[in-house]
Amino acid sequence: MNLLCVQCVIEVMSSLLRVILVFAAFTGTAYAISTADHTKFKELQENFKSGPEVTRACIKCHTEAAKQLHKTKHWTWEFLNPDNKQRLGKRNILNNFCITPQSNFAHCAACHIGYGWIDESFDFAAEENVDCLVCHDTTGSYRKAGDNGGLPRETVDLTYVAQNVSSTSRDTCGACHFYGGGGNGVKHGDMDDSLAVPERELDVHMDAVGEDFTCATCHKHVEHDIAGSRYAPEAAHSEDYHVHRKVFEEEDNAHCRACHGNRPHKKADKSRLNNHAKKIACQTCHVPRIARGGVATRMTWDWSTAGQLDETGEPLKKHVDGNLVYHGKRGSFTYAEDSEPEYIWFNGEVRYVLLNERVALNEDGYVEINSFAGSADDGKSRIWPVKVFRGVQPYDPIMGTMVVPHTTGLDEDAYWRGFDWEKAITAGMLSAGQPFSGKVDFIKTQMSWPINHMVAPAEDAVGCDECHIKNGRLKDIDGIYIPSRDASQKLDLAGWAIALLTLVGVVMHGLGRIVSYLWSKRSCPSE
Amino acid sequence: MRHNMKHQKSIIAALVVILLGMSSMAEAAKGNWKKGRIYYRMVCTDCHAKEAGGKISPSEKTKAEWLDYFEKNIHGPQDAPTKYTASYFVSHEYRESIKDTNRAAKKLLKIPEEQLLEDVKAFLVHTAKDSDQPTSCE
Repeated sequence: MNLLCVQCVIEVMSSLLRVILVFAAFTGTAYAISTADHTKFKELQENFKSGPEVTRACIKCHTEAAKQLHKTKHWTWEFLNPDNKQRLGKRNILNNFCITPQSNFAHCAACHIGYGWIDESFDFAAEENVDCLVCHDTTGSYRKAGDNGGLPRETVDLTYVAQNVSSTSRDTCGACHFYGGGGNGVKHGDMDDSLAVPERELDVHMDAVGEDFTCATCHKHVEHDIAGSRYAPEAAHSEDYHVHRKVFEEEDNAHCRACHGNRPHKKADKSRLNNHAKKIACQTCHVPRIARGGVATRMTWDWSTAGQLDETGEPLKKHVDGNLVYHGKRGSFTYAEDSEPEYIWFNGEVRYVLLNERVALNEDGYVEINSFAGSADDGKSRIWPVKVFRGVQPYDPIMGTMVVPHTTGLDEDAYWRGFDWEKAITAGMLSAGQPFSGKVDFIKTQMSWPINHMVAPAEDAVGCDECHIKNGRLKDIDGIYIPSRDASQKLDLAGWAIALLTLVGVVMHGLGRIVSYLWSKRSCPSE
Repeated sequence: MRHNMKHQKSIIAALVVILLGMSSMAEAAKGNWKKGRIYYRMVCTDCHAKEAGGKISPSEKTKAEWLDYFEKNIHGPQDAPTKYTASYFVSHEYRESIKDTNRAAKKLLKIPEEQLLEDVKAFLVHTAKDSDQPTSCE
């Protein structure tokens, strides 16, 4: 009996194949998500011990991927504003949340798509420093550690993750973008982890059992360069762009009109709303409130109160309604949930206050870290919803400039360790190559964040009477006449008087015609 | 002799198929945590929030506690612990009964019960208190 004869093997395999086909047809492949099964790739049959090892395996097949990524904002954290030539990007700008990654890269690079950005010695040209897994993980088990420049946690099974990669998802993008500013929903107001599995009411496009858009459905990429910019966005779109483009143009960002066009309201009874679209951004009506997913967004951050420790010497923490309202390392916070945004004219021009600039207060007493330009009559503005985030943060009162505090790290200069602002800012400004007088004071600042996500179903859009009313949502928008909001009592009275007189005239005329007809009937009997 | 050989080949084929089947079952037993998350949040959490005294966060239990919960297969309610099994709430019968008011139940109606149970289990273990990524209800 020769069980290994060729004929036997063929017959066994044949039987096997038939049963497999029946089995497969029966069970189906409910969760097939890719045309490539990475568990079968010989390049990935290794016991990976580090992120760069995985990347070296990835780029054996995806030969151009790392080179493409090296050119993107996600890698360089730099952006040159084509309009005003300001050099922006995360590594250059300030904000009024965690202030700046400068001198804090080891910590902040947990949201960089690379491995090992601890200081200026980081090799931006090394392909193996690109972190493929942070964007392409499907297991949900990939996590970067803190304070080591974006290396993965030691507990991550890199081989398992590498063998289970696929397209980006709301989870992978959200791993950083939902947590901007240091926590879930803190920064944006329209992005938090409720968008990982959103209901239709929260986001009509991302609805997990409906359209199920991922971030990349709108934020298309060309060669890993992803559309969408808040440094130089487009506020108005004169032409109908389309998402499925072949060539990436900087101005061709992800936006509503890429799919919906410039006359988005198709039903006859809604067509007059298309006229609104000439002056109002889609988001103004279709994102009625911010932080609608059950996660509060932070609205203020006061660094000047930081430094309190509890009885054990640890930073004091206080929570209200589940929200962190005080942290000894960071200061005091307030929150909002399911609240109306503010509205401004916005033409897409954004200007940042950079480190080397003397600051000036606006009429409300705040330094505008970023200022949005726009007006009713410049021909390119729309009324936009924004989250305005207000803070109190350190600055140099002698130089009149904003400052870089070295907050994170284990050294004594780090604010979170020594709680000494002068030391922390001296170290931070030295690292940034900026002059510092040695004096520290605090100044009020504000930033605006355009609202784009959490798009509500049409039936939940902002109603007419929320704007066409005195003291409504658009009460602070100037330069435009809004019926009902801007009604003048005298003008209304005059209008009603004219209407009344017209009515009286019509009635009198009608009566005259009737009387005249009857009179003519009586005086001219039929022959 | 020839008949015996044919018989043996059939037995071998059957054994391989059984092993393959077990392998597929093992694969299925891993569950798809993302599908499980949808069902847990949109069906389980939705019901608990509205009718059962509030949401239960996956991070309220350890991995072992969640696995023990599914092993015992007792769902409650508290005043009648054995009234429902845990697996009932992923059954076709249950999904059918709520499909007109719950879009997730309708969307996931055709998934086999055993698979959906494994999906939910995978999500809860994935985000349990002692997991690398404990999560809240949101």
